[in-house]
Amino acid sequence: MSKELIRLKDVTMTFDGETVLKDINIYFNDKEFLTLLGPSGCGKTTMLRIIGGFQTPTSGDVLFDGVRINDVPPHLRQVNTVFQKYALFPHLNVYDNVAFGLRIPRETEGPDGKKQKVKLPKDEIDQRVREMLEVVSLKGFEHRSIASLSGGQQQRVAIARALVNRPKVLLLDEPLGALDMRLRKDMQQELKRIQQQMGITFINVTHDQEEALAMSDTVVVMNEGVIQQIGTPEDIYNEPKNAFVADFIGESNIVDGIMRADGVVEIFNRRFACLDGGFEKDEPVDVVIRPEDVDIVSEAEGQLRGVVTSVTFKGVHYDTIVDFYGFKWLIETTDYCPVDSRIGIKIDPDGIHVMKKSKYSGMFGDYSSYSEEYDEINDPTLIDDDEAEGTADEE
Amino acid sequence: MKKNGFGGRSLIGLCFLFLYLPIFLLIFFSFNAGESSAVWRGFSLRWYGELFQNRLVIESLATTLLVSLLATAIATVAGTFAAIGIYSLTKKWRDPILVVNDIPMMNADIVTGVSLCLFFVAFFNGWGGIARWLNSWQSLIEFPTRMTLGLTTLIIAHVSFDIPYVILNVSPRLRQMDKNLVDAAQDLGCTWMQAFFKVILPEIKPGIVSGALIAFTMSVDDFVISYFTAGSATQTLAMTIYGMTKKRVTPVVNAVSTLMFLAVLIVLIINNLRSAKQEKLNAKRASFEPVRENPRVERFKAWLTTPRGKLTKRLTALCTCVVFVGTVVFLTAFTTSRPVVNVCSWGEYIDEDLIDEFEAETGIRVNYQTTDSNETLYSLLKSGGADYDVVVPSDYMISQLIEEGMLEELDYSQIPNFEKIDPRFRNLPYDPENKYTVPYTWGTVGIIYNSTMVDGEITSWSSLYDEANAGQVLLIGNSRDAFGIALKYLGYSVNTTNEDEIRAAYELVADANERGIFQGKVMDEVFQAMEGGNAAIATYYAGDYLSMLENNEDLKFVVPDEGSNWFVDAMCVLKEAPNYDNAMKWINFIASTDANLRNMDFIWYASPNSEALEKYPAWYEEQYGEELDPEIYEIMAAPQEVLDRCEMYTVLPRATRTLYNNLWIQLGI
Amino acid sequence: MRNKRSLFAVPYVIWMALFVVIPIIIMLVYSLTVPVETAQGDVLHGSLENFTGMTLYAGVFGRSFWLALVATVICLFIGYPVAYLMSREGPGFQRVAMALIMLPMWMNFLLRTYAWMSILENNGLLNQLFAKLGIISLYNRLTGSDIDHFQMIRTSGAVVLGMVYNYLPFMILPIYTVLVKLDNRLIEAAADLGANSATVFRRVTLPLSLSGIVSGVTMVFVPSVSTFAISRLLGGGKETMLGDLIENQFLGGAYNPHLGAAISMVMMVIVLICMVVMNHFGDGEEEAMML
Repeated sequence: MSKELIRLKDVTMTFDGETVLKDINIYFNDKEFLTLLGPSGCGKTTMLRIIGGFQTPTSGDVLFDGVRINDVPPHLRQVNTVFQKYALFPHLNVYDNVAFGLRIPRETEGPDGKKQKVKLPKDEIDQRVREMLEVVSLKGFEHRSIASLSGGQQQRVAIARALVNRPKVLLLDEPLGALDMRLRKDMQQELKRIQQQMGITFINVTHDQEEALAMSDTVVVMNEGVIQQIGTPEDIYNEPKNAFVADFIGESNIVDGIMRADGVVEIFNRRFACLDGGFEKDEPVDVVIRPEDVDIVSEAEGQLRGVVTSVTFKGVHYDTIVDFYGFKWLIETTDYCPVDSRIGIKIDPDGIHVMKKSKYSGMFGDYSSYSEEYDEINDPTLIDDDEAEGTADEE
Repeated sequence: MKKNGFGGRSLIGLCFLFLYLPIFLLIFFSFNAGESSAVWRGFSLRWYGELFQNRLVIESLATTLLVSLLATAIATVAGTFAAIGIYSLTKKWRDPILVVNDIPMMNADIVTGVSLCLFFVAFFNGWGGIARWLNSWQSLIEFPTRMTLGLTTLIIAHVSFDIPYVILNVSPRLRQMDKNLVDAAQDLGCTWMQAFFKVILPEIKPGIVSGALIAFTMSVDDFVISYFTAGSATQTLAMTIYGMTKKRVTPVVNAVSTLMFLAVLIVLIINNLRSAKQEKLNAKRASFEPVRENPRVERFKAWLTTPRGKLTKRLTALCTCVVFVGTVVFLTAFTTSRPVVNVCSWGEYIDEDLIDEFEAETGIRVNYQTTDSNETLYSLLKSGGADYDVVVPSDYMISQLIEEGMLEELDYSQIPNFEKIDPRFRNLPYDPENKYTVPYTWGTVGIIYNSTMVDGEITSWSSLYDEANAGQVLLIGNSRDAFGIALKYLGYSVNTTNEDEIRAAYELVADANERGIFQGKVMDEVFQAMEGGNAAIATYYAGDYLSMLENNEDLKFVVPDEGSNWFVDAMCVLKEAPNYDNAMKWINFIASTDANLRNMDFIWYASPNSEALEKYPAWYEEQYGEELDPEIYEIMAAPQEVLDRCEMYTVLPRATRTLYNNLWIQLGI
Repeated sequence: MRNKRSLFAVPYVIWMALFVVIPIIIMLVYSLTVPVETAQGDVLHGSLENFTGMTLYAGVFGRSFWLALVATVICLFIGYPVAYLMSREGPGFQRVAMALIMLPMWMNFLLRTYAWMSILENNGLLNQLFAKLGIISLYNRLTGSDIDHFQMIRTSGAVVLGMVYNYLPFMILPIYTVLVKLDNRLIEAAADLGANSATVFRRVTLPLSLSGIVSGVTMVFVPSVSTFAISRLLGGGKETMLGDLIENQFLGGAYNPHLGAAISMVMMVIVLICMVVMNHFGDGEEEAMML
């Protein structure tokens, strides 16, 4: 187990009486790639800014290596940030942007114990900048102006500019938000590679679940200023803690169920075998069934029976919406079932995941308004305005 | 980033205090019962009342508003279209146009004003020929052969410097606009014009509004460009104020400015409150809270969509247009209701009741303008900036004007009052046969001094150059008088053309200047300085001394033993004067004994009308119930033995005039 | 469609050519000619006399540029910090700021300058205040002098004060506009990279607000160097400035539009050269941003 680097203790943040973060307790380990995931306005960017030192929490502590750093200004923290839309200095070229932090004299304790300002020697700066540009594959771009770079290149400059200072932690605020789909995929790989090469902690903020799952060692799902779940991508996907997480990560059918006994859950008055346990007898629960875990069988063989209401071809599979007793499920299947055909389904025990009831119960998981929701998820113009909210008070 | 602490806030506050202190002072003194802008004599609304009776101020205010409104309207429309046009140009064409667009903003105002002035004058000169040629060709339209600077040139100038501000404000909006918007609108069935009104215009509206606002502000505040392009028959408020700052700014101007200032302040406050409200509303919308609008507002908005509401909305828009056009028409009528006689004189050189009286008597409207020196008048006439009928220059300038053929002979049969002019003031050297002039006033130049600030009596010009008065002397602000006095002191003639003598006089003045004797070079500014006790010694005209005496009893006047200059100001009519007959009526009216008496009483300059001159002491006693101090009468109408010591200016040859100018400028270096 | 739309610019182009470009050409023509007296009246002859004769006025040029420079520098040193501080105020203040700066223009600048006269006069409000506070007698005791007022009006200092007062808003406004638009993230980024607030200012804020400084300096320097009203009102007309000199050639005693045009030309060219040099800083940045 790697060692703990940053810890937030009971951190609460309010702007103008509005609570953005509520009693956050979390720690970040050394050398891990952690993603803060959540919809806009969930407080993830605020959390990042608190770590970066741009905001001071209303209450609670920020610890770095066990030392309280609430009042340490950003320029004295061993943390660097890749900003949303990069915030590159337009008046400097690529090289000077990357060298910016290195050229600033640092206060260190001299041999006589006195504090003195030390400037890095020129050739060391030069060497480190060139090294870093090589890491981000921007060799030869030294003298280009910022505006002449593509989005992906600007992204790399921003990363280089932050990493060249050798921070212990790199904070990334929606680093891929401004890139197009293809580039985003490439940069995901690239970021992961850089993180492994540098061997430091990356804390990434995003609202894109796919990105979070693909890159992270640990994912923190947030909503409304509260951490909903912390876990590996697999945990988060397979064992969502509540209806919000289940819905936010991937596609899921969430139905009401009753826990009849350990390993037995009742849905639509039918009992299903499952792997979950530890609930009270007859406790009402939320049941998550991922669309790909449902097998379509003939009506007679099915554990449940329904009518197909729509079919969409998706390449590898069909998205099939099936009406079960008035509740619409999404099923991903390779079998084509025409609309209006009656079918039955089978679910293996490991395809059923039971969650405790939460405040999100009943809010998600029905696909009767399927198409709209689908649009929303894929809408690229939905930009996280969490950031804007965070800075609104300072303008 | 942190917000400012106390220190930062107070620095901002200090800066605004610096910017607003004089403004508060001006507003404060607009409520002063007294006339001073430094001494508080109690609260009164007197100046706000007098505002509406002050013709000069009201007329120039009307001109200012008319010019600013029209220029802003034209510039806003033209600038908006130009911005759209420029925006669609290729870079090759756009860049040079933008450079030209920058010229009026980058150039010093004075260069813009001067170049436009030269352009207009050159155009007018050329136009005379063209018009005559056109008129000789056809008789359908009578083209005016004579054009002068005036309202039209003023508006053209204002439009020219307003347009760049509009373009500057509209262009960024265009650049920000999504390029596909117009295409989208056309795709949805709009014609290009409809797309323009429905899509482009709303998009760039904020830019247009702020551009128009800035243009309007610039127009109202402009002085320099107007000064060079308005000519003299048209005066903006700024020009009126400039004229006044030399002598005395009547608190009426404070009152006008206070009203304008407050009007703008109220508009800005309302606007700010509205946008603050809007912002709050937007914030609420952003936070998905239900927006509860004022039910009355909601009802009003609903009503606006009903047919009746729509009609009312359109009517309101129509009314706004009508009000705008109406204002412009009214102001135009007000400022250009064809003046029937144009008079140019000096500041505070007439009892203004006489003007009203003349207008009532004859029905002729008097457009009364002022300039501040003979040389300025000459420049105005030369540059074609003037559209006067009657001017009142001094002796030497009259001879110069006659020499250059700029004056028209008078028809003395229409001026019976000429008979009353004292023979002493007829057939003087400047107009030996008395064909061009009717004298207006006469007087002497002498030393005005503050007896509390100077030891003993002054009898000689030497006190002007005396170490003992260092920093206390005001040098008269024109070369002729300043060097003339020095010449007199040195015992030379004021009309000498001998370069050595003139240079000697220059040396005398320059030396005194070097030793720091002079506090400043002033013309009409002398009033403030001497009345306020800010300087001890000045040289100026006897009549003006008597005006100052009314406000500061410590002042004394003397015509020094070495002798001085005595002068006659006379009414003349310019060549090709458009209102010749009316000019004769005016001259006759002013030459009457009654008018001379009242003028004398008002401006304290001696009258050339022998009857009036003789009667004045008795008339004074009748009017004020007290005897006129004979000393005052003697200062006003200098007795012959004083005049014998004095010399009248004659026109100098061009070479000598150039020498005067060059030396005068050297003095200022 | 785009080309058709560009026709909109035609009236404007004609207007600007007629009333901006041609007047300057006419001014150039005037400056290159002198009137020569002949029997048929004055005839214009081409000559460089107006320019060669201008050496006489070198002192006027020197003083005008010097005073304008001093005023500009003072404006910059007052205006920048104020603009900087203002840009850090809340959005509520920012809405008001523009209005607050524009508002004084509605009181004519001549009148405002006139108000300064009554403040600075020998018997003016400031001297009265000094006398009441005993500053004048204190000064007399300290220096052994015997004055009853400080000479403030009709000095170069008063002229500079008038320029600073009148044109300070033109310095604050462009700098403020640039600073307000400055992306706060850039400052955070610099701080994040280890710059303390002084370094952030020197390395990021200042270079990025250079364009505002350039236009501010232009907007203060140009009217300052060419003013004639301020120098006449507050300087007592004692020392001739460029504006006085030009005005004097057109509407003043020394009527000679040819010389006036020549002086205007020279002033325009010098100012333009200054602008080009200055814009080299500003535009260079802009180009770097656009490339």
